[in-house]
Amino acid sequence: MILKTKFFKKLVSDVDWRLILALLVLMLISFTAIYSASFGCGMSFKYLSIQLLASGMGFAGLFLFASFNYRYYKHLSKFIYILSLALLISVLVFGSVKRGTKGWFDFGFVSFQPVEIAKIMFILALAAFIDARIKDVKKISFLISVFALLAGHLVLIMMQPDFSSTLSYFPVTLVLLFMAGVNPFYLFCIVVSGCLAAGIPLLGTFLNMQRGGTLLADLALSLKSGWIVVYIVVAVPFLTAGIWYFLWKLRIRIPVIYPIVLCGAVLLGCAASIPVEKSLKDYQRKRLVVFLNPKVDPRGSGYNIIQSKIAIGSGRFAGKGFKKGTQTQLGFLPEQHTDFIFSVIGEEGGWIMAQLTLFLYFLFIWRALAIAKGSRDRYGSLVATGIATMFMFCAVINVGMVMGMMPVTGMPLLFLSYGGSSMLSSLCAVGILCSIRMERHTY
Amino acid sequence: MTLQKEDKSAYEAFLKKHKIILMFFILLFICLSLRLFYLQIIKGGSYEKVSQQQRMHSTYERAPRGVIYSADNIVLADNEFTYAALFYPFGQQQTPTNESIKELNKILGRDVKISADKCYRYGRFVKLADNITMEEMFKIQEKKSILKNISIVRETRRIYCYPEAVSHIIGYTGEISVDEIEKWSEQERKIGDYVGRGGIEQSYDVYLQGKDGGWQVEVNAKGYRIKAFKYVPPQAGSNVYSTVDLKLQKAAYDALKSSSTGRGAVVVLDTRTGAVKALVSCPGFDANKAGAKDFGRYLKDKNLPLFNRSLQAVYPPGSVFKIITFAAAVELLNIDSEKTVRCTGSFELGNRHYSCWYKPGHGAVNLISALARSCNVYFYQLGLKLGIGNLEKYARKFYFGQKTDIDLPNEKKGFVPSPEWKKSKLKMPWLYGDTVIFAIGQGALLVTPIQMAYVISAVANRGVCRKPYIVDRIVDFNGNEVYKHALEFGGRIDLSDKTWNLLYKALLETVESGAGIRSKISGVKIAGKTGTVQNPHGSDHAWFVSYAPADAPEIAIAVVVENGGGGGLNAVPISRKIYETYFNIESEKEERQ
Repeated sequence: MILKTKFFKKLVSDVDWRLILALLVLMLISFTAIYSASFGCGMSFKYLSIQLLASGMGFAGLFLFASFNYRYYKHLSKFIYILSLALLISVLVFGSVKRGTKGWFDFGFVSFQPVEIAKIMFILALAAFIDARIKDVKKISFLISVFALLAGHLVLIMMQPDFSSTLSYFPVTLVLLFMAGVNPFYLFCIVVSGCLAAGIPLLGTFLNMQRGGTLLADLALSLKSGWIVVYIVVAVPFLTAGIWYFLWKLRIRIPVIYPIVLCGAVLLGCAASIPVEKSLKDYQRKRLVVFLNPKVDPRGSGYNIIQSKIAIGSGRFAGKGFKKGTQTQLGFLPEQHTDFIFSVIGEEGGWIMAQLTLFLYFLFIWRALAIAKGSRDRYGSLVATGIATMFMFCAVINVGMVMGMMPVTGMPLLFLSYGGSSMLSSLCAVGILCSIRMERHTY
Repeated sequence: MTLQKEDKSAYEAFLKKHKIILMFFILLFICLSLRLFYLQIIKGGSYEKVSQQQRMHSTYERAPRGVIYSADNIVLADNEFTYAALFYPFGQQQTPTNESIKELNKILGRDVKISADKCYRYGRFVKLADNITMEEMFKIQEKKSILKNISIVRETRRIYCYPEAVSHIIGYTGEISVDEIEKWSEQERKIGDYVGRGGIEQSYDVYLQGKDGGWQVEVNAKGYRIKAFKYVPPQAGSNVYSTVDLKLQKAAYDALKSSSTGRGAVVVLDTRTGAVKALVSCPGFDANKAGAKDFGRYLKDKNLPLFNRSLQAVYPPGSVFKIITFAAAVELLNIDSEKTVRCTGSFELGNRHYSCWYKPGHGAVNLISALARSCNVYFYQLGLKLGIGNLEKYARKFYFGQKTDIDLPNEKKGFVPSPEWKKSKLKMPWLYGDTVIFAIGQGALLVTPIQMAYVISAVANRGVCRKPYIVDRIVDFNGNEVYKHALEFGGRIDLSDKTWNLLYKALLETVESGAGIRSKISGVKIAGKTGTVQNPHGSDHAWFVSYAPADAPEIAIAVVVENGGGGGLNAVPISRKIYETYFNIESEKEERQ
């Protein structure tokens, strides 16, 4: 009993109230938007009550994780990683299929998506791994083992297949590596080869979708013939060598390893683009690039983007009012209570609410980063940074998608989108943040 | 404030990296905010417009066209309600589902097909089926769960009560063409509208056309109706009261139909006002079939049922033109009406001879009996004496070669030849022979039946012309009279009293004892003139123009039977039947013939 009161005293005095306040206001906005979005299809109380239930459980989880010293995760990291793999494997075996993805444990009245928890567990395990091997950050074997850890998760998730859930793993891993002190140039090379691997097939698809534009159509033709890849492969080493030599003459000395690594990354990216092209179906690639020009397929792959932009844009300054958004209530907006919840806020609440939501979200992430900064040890700051990065990129990918800046992926907006598992796991992550914050003065 | 114990420099590096990450996140946040600002504040107006457009939808409810009445208030053209199945392409759904098309075909027993291509072409909506009966409509409504993307609208369909007899007066309706929509852009016509084609339907289309009403509704993403905002009831078109005497019209049509060829035209005018009492072109057509497949049959028919002969067909006037030659001769030649000329059955001009229709010859004929018995030889002489100049002048004086401006569409002008015309067009000089046949109404001179009726009505009125008209008044759906025909002088044919008297006597004589004797009815004095037109393409055309009662004229009739043979034999009995109907005389006296 005494322990309990002591814990609550500590919680009240040490918790970051700005973080919690931002979180609560965001959740309030979320409940309103979910209620309004599901009002049109007559499901308002069902979705809202599930979301409230998940939030209640999430806050229980928050208190639980907040009261649990985060340092224990460091010691349990191997166990956590193995547990996460076990979760992902068991969902492949016992899970049920929803929307084409075998990623759900179905308990009858409620279902649960383990990948949301696995993300947090991955952050905990990766941070522990980096923290343990901080002396080896300059070694290539360190990088390889980190990517092996990452690959374990990615492969299992892609087997579901759940493309969008893998997206937040990349920025989290890269940012943690950056924080650990890996040479930014290598990280840059990794990003370049990743962009090339995904970008070349998508660029081809995008150019094929264009009609009429002569220059773009010509480009598409030359790309189809495959010669452009050969040109790149040949041109890149020469170009890099040339630039390096030029800089050398200007007495800017760059170690010779850099251009070699860059060339290697570019060639690796080009090579990787071939299996990527094979693995993605045509309609998937179309869906990924149509945001650049949704009008080429207004009734098919571009429909969601067009309607979402109309919804946000038509909200204008003050919005159309609660339950009065025509795009939302008449069903023009797809997936409105889940992935496109931000469009609902933008339409019914207008620019004021949308900007407020963005601001609160950023406030939350800023506090998470502040916790990372104020953490007592490296492990705590790595975990907090990882969690902050996860939230940041979820927001960027989701909000960017609904505003037509990013490809259409099924990335939910954490704390705002309807979804019990993501709400529960996000709140648990906040609990870990609280724990890091509360332990900041403990040595 | 907290210290990473291992290494101070490592901690400082950590702070630097932390700052970079924070800056990077702020940059991303600013990007998102700018995009949000751009979408909502800068482009907000245009997006709002789009969102309004895609949720608002207008549906149409067709207004019934005005009813067309005869002079005795009998309905000639009415409307009946039918239902049509429409599909509104919407959002992602550009074609109705196969399932619903199948169900619709099952109910209607038709084979409706639809392609996405067709949907794009029409833009607003696609008509899947029309002429749906009430029972079928109820069946469709019962299957609403399957057929929910198909909307049923009430349409009006034109019903013509007397399909063949009055077909050319009324005309028919047809769907508007794209060109016409552009042509009448200020009238805001739309695809699927019906417009009048021919007859009163065409010339009074503006009045007959109602104002379509409809719903302005809010639809959801699937195109289903959610909420109705505004309902505008359709406004029926104005009712048109024509001057047609249905009894006369039917009598004339039946008589013409049972004539020798069944082709021809009759125009009956009220000489006092110019009102068209009957206007028949035979054969008629069934306008109820307009738009249906069998309507094409009429287009292929060699008897040209869609051709309105009373206004559009041009024939040489034949001996009827002798009225004009007669008048010109009396006016200009100061001719002695009693002076006889001997008709031997032929007339020599140079080395050619022109025969009289009565081969043995009429013997001695004077001016009156020459007209009454239609002696060609007498009129050849008159024609030569008058010369082409005077004949042409008098033909024009009697308004040949000029439209009567009746309020029906597509009237033809006819044609009056002249030496200048022959020279410029045929590159041949005008011959005396041309003058001679001109005098008896043969050759290049062409007139329409309505012109003939107009002329004989003017003769009946001793030169006073009344412009013919067919619509007396138009009353809108509130009961206000929006149009009333005002009596109009069509002009005046200035001839001396002497001429009129002689002409009156001669025309009376024609019916009493001459070529028009078959129209003689006891109790009514009829004056008229027959005509038989030699036709190089086939049998002669038969003409008869007349008016009655001769002393106080009421109606004037022009009858032409195409390829009917002699005027006295074929055209005259038709007029007789019309007179019998008009004057309510039992037709048993016909047996006398």
